[in-house]
Amino acid sequence: MPRLLGVDIPSEKKTVYSLQYLYGVGPRVSRELCHKAGIDPLGKARDLQEDELARLAALLDKDYVCEGQLRRQVAQNVSRLKDIGAYRGLRHRRGLPVRGQRTKTNARTRKGPKKTVAGKKGVKDLR
Amino acid sequence: MGRSSKKGPYVDPRLYEKAEAQLSSGARDPIKTWSRSCTIVPEFVGLTFMVHNGKQHIKVFVTEDMVGHKLGEFSPTRQFKGHGGKGGR
Repeated sequence: MPRLLGVDIPSEKKTVYSLQYLYGVGPRVSRELCHKAGIDPLGKARDLQEDELARLAALLDKDYVCEGQLRRQVAQNVSRLKDIGAYRGLRHRRGLPVRGQRTKTNARTRKGPKKTVAGKKGVKDLR
Repeated sequence: MGRSSKKGPYVDPRLYEKAEAQLSSGARDPIKTWSRSCTIVPEFVGLTFMVHNGKQHIKVFVTEDMVGHKLGEFSPTRQFKGHGGKGGR
C-alpha cells in the first residue's frame, strides 16, 4: 500500500477515492490533486509510482492544509471559542450541538450513546 | 445566512458613541446595554460592557479575540439547573 504524509495508507481503490482517506481531502481536492500532479484519477492507487507519490506529497504540503495541521487548526478554533467564553464555546464544553439544533430529541452525534435515566413511574404503576 | 457585507457589521450607533466617549475620556465604567446583537468592533477592546440577558446585566470584558462576535454571545440567556432530583415527579 502506498504511503502519503507519514501515516496514511490509502487502499486498493481508484486514486481519486483513495486520496479521500486523508483528513482534509475530499472529492474536490482529490480531483484537483490528480489533475495537478498529472495522475490518472481512475488508476488504482496501488499502481502509483514513487515519483507520483512524491509529487502528490509536495502539492499537499504546498497548497493544502490537511491531516495533523488541519486537526490542530480545528482544535485551535474550538479552544479559542472556549477561552473567550462565547456561547459556542460553552456548547463545545458541554458536548452539545453548537449551531442551535434541538436537543429535546436527536443530537446523538454530539451527545453520544443514549444514557437512560430512571424515569417517573408510568400511569399503570401508580394504581 | 450571513449579513450582506455591503452593509458592513451591525454596530449599535448609540452604543458606539458611548464607547467612543469612554475611549477619548479614558473613563472605564461598565457600559450597560441591551444591545446583544451589536457586533464587537476593534474599538471596543479593553472596555467593559454590562450585557443584558433578559434578567440581569452580565459583565463582559472585551478582549482582542472577541472582535467580530456579538455582545450577546457572552451573556447566556438560559440557566440549566439540572434534571430530576428529590420530589421530581
